[in-house]
Amino acid sequence: MKLSAKFLIYNFLAKGMLLVAFLALGPFLIEYLAVKNTDSLLEEKKLEVLAIIESEGIESFISEENRDIGYGSYNLLKEEYILIEKVDYVFSSDTIFVEERILDDASVPYRVLATTFMSGEDSILMEIGRSLQTIQEFKDIVFRIFVGIIMVFLILSFLLDYKFANTVMAPFHRIVKRKLSSIDQPQQYDYKKIDTNTEEFQILDRSIADMMTRIQKAFNQERTFISHASHELKTPISVLQSKVEAMFAAQELDHVQMEKLLDMQGTIAHMKKTVNALLLISKVNNAQFIKTEEVEIKALLEEVFEDWEPIAADKKINFSLQKTVSHVIPDTNKSLLLMMLRNAISNAIKYTPKGGAILVSSEFGERGFQINIKDTGSGIPDEILNQVKEGLVFLKDAEKDKSGFGMQLMFKIALYLNVDIQVDSAENGTRLVFLFP
Amino acid sequence: MRVLLVEDEPHLVKEISEFLVTESFICDVSTSLREASENIAVNDYDFVLLDLGLPDGDGLTLLDELSQGNASVVILTARSEVDDKVKGLQMGADDYLAKPFSLLELKARMQAILRRKGGWKKEQFPIGEFEVDFAAKTIMYAKTEIKLTSKEFALLQFLLINKNRVLNRFQLAEHLWGDHLDDDYQSNYIDVHIKNIRKKLGEYAATDWLETVRGLGYKVKI
Repeated sequence: MKLSAKFLIYNFLAKGMLLVAFLALGPFLIEYLAVKNTDSLLEEKKLEVLAIIESEGIESFISEENRDIGYGSYNLLKEEYILIEKVDYVFSSDTIFVEERILDDASVPYRVLATTFMSGEDSILMEIGRSLQTIQEFKDIVFRIFVGIIMVFLILSFLLDYKFANTVMAPFHRIVKRKLSSIDQPQQYDYKKIDTNTEEFQILDRSIADMMTRIQKAFNQERTFISHASHELKTPISVLQSKVEAMFAAQELDHVQMEKLLDMQGTIAHMKKTVNALLLISKVNNAQFIKTEEVEIKALLEEVFEDWEPIAADKKINFSLQKTVSHVIPDTNKSLLLMMLRNAISNAIKYTPKGGAILVSSEFGERGFQINIKDTGSGIPDEILNQVKEGLVFLKDAEKDKSGFGMQLMFKIALYLNVDIQVDSAENGTRLVFLFP
Repeated sequence: MRVLLVEDEPHLVKEISEFLVTESFICDVSTSLREASENIAVNDYDFVLLDLGLPDGDGLTLLDELSQGNASVVILTARSEVDDKVKGLQMGADDYLAKPFSLLELKARMQAILRRKGGWKKEQFPIGEFEVDFAAKTIMYAKTEIKLTSKEFALLQFLLINKNRVLNRFQLAEHLWGDHLDDDYQSNYIDVHIKNIRKKLGEYAATDWLETVRGLGYKVKI
């Protein structure tokens, strides 16, 4: 998951959780505030009514006609009522409570302020009530507004966070894309600084550049070493070979001496192959081959097939080339490609027993163009295969006849040409798949 | 034909020049750039075999001077840089042979250059009752063409170029596959190809000119 996505999710969840908590507490808060507000209103009303009584006397509410029942009145919408009556007691202080009142056969809750006062010798009870239905409606409206504002806030903050995260992470993506993913070799590294004012990315950019400088230096040292080593090794081998060849051609030696010379030539050939294979592996590692050729794979496979068909036939191996499709591989190196396939087929022939079969084919599979080499040979032991995949050149525990560099070369070349090799090795055979980019 | 060998390693100079003389070339030797430059100015060469790592400079610098004349240039080098090969061929060299190489391979490459440049008039070679055409890469019996694979033809051609000389399996394998194929058995594959050549040609006429020298290799005897 991208770092920017993680930031976004974290922000969204953190804000969301806070807001949910706030929403959950919201109704209680609103109710508390609304009740407080109602109580204040009731208090104001009480003072207003007491002021009227003081100026106009209690008779404006309780006259001789309603002396026993007192005064009671609702306002027009029955949101408020007032009750004034004579009682036999006096409260020590005002009380506020909720009371259900029956109005038009419906029970309606009211917040009621009850107070008592003396008017002459009479003790008077005054109740001022306000319907709580009004409070409920107010509470609902405020809650909806609350939810709306919170949703808008969440969406806006998400969009802003998204934009911000992308802007902040942009230099990182530029470092990865321009400086790391798009290059195959250290020589292609772009040393131009990435434009950013984020210190961490500046440090990253500098550190990668420093590392690349060190890698390039090591590459150049290795390249120089290879060049010198190759010269120092190849020239004496060349002298040795020329001398042995000259003696072999001289025809002045007897057959036994000639056979000894032939043994020497075999040893020289082995030395040459070893030196060449090591240099080749090293050169492939150092990307010292150009990749600018276009290769038509069908023709290449036919060429390799023609080369090896007589060898397979001599070993009574059923060697066949099937289902080949035309496909041109761009930006590659023909001789390396040929070497990779030759090594694969030569190995297949070497390890397939007499009477076995080797099937070579090419096709467009799920992952693109692929070449398959399937044989009924003994398969490649896992411990050898793992070492080759790890890039070891000198394999441990390899049998003598398997200690050549064929497999290593095949895998190194594949890596260099961006070909993915899949090996399914079992007791009854091996299936080698070359997946092309 | 006159050859200038530009090489500073004395043992190699001795072997290559002796081989060239045996093959009827006139061979001059230069062990430095300066010496080579003087030789080129004075003599007209058909071939210059040029080593790149010379004591007084890079052999590639000589290619400019050589481009004035008619000499065919074969670069002989122990260097492994790909750039050198590309640069050398771009600067007008005709071929590039990496050390260590077989002298027989050198001869085959020189003959191929001669053929390419039209300096070799004769392209058809009679061999037994057959006729081999190097240019068309065919082998005929009377008017019938006998189909050989490219490897079989290359093998026959190499034996023919080095006729009357025993070529061992290592030399033949190196010519066919170079030094890179990782297969210790490849020299045994030569036997398979020889067997197939004999079988294909044997259907038309005798192939006793293609001799097996027991324990050593093969020879085309003409």
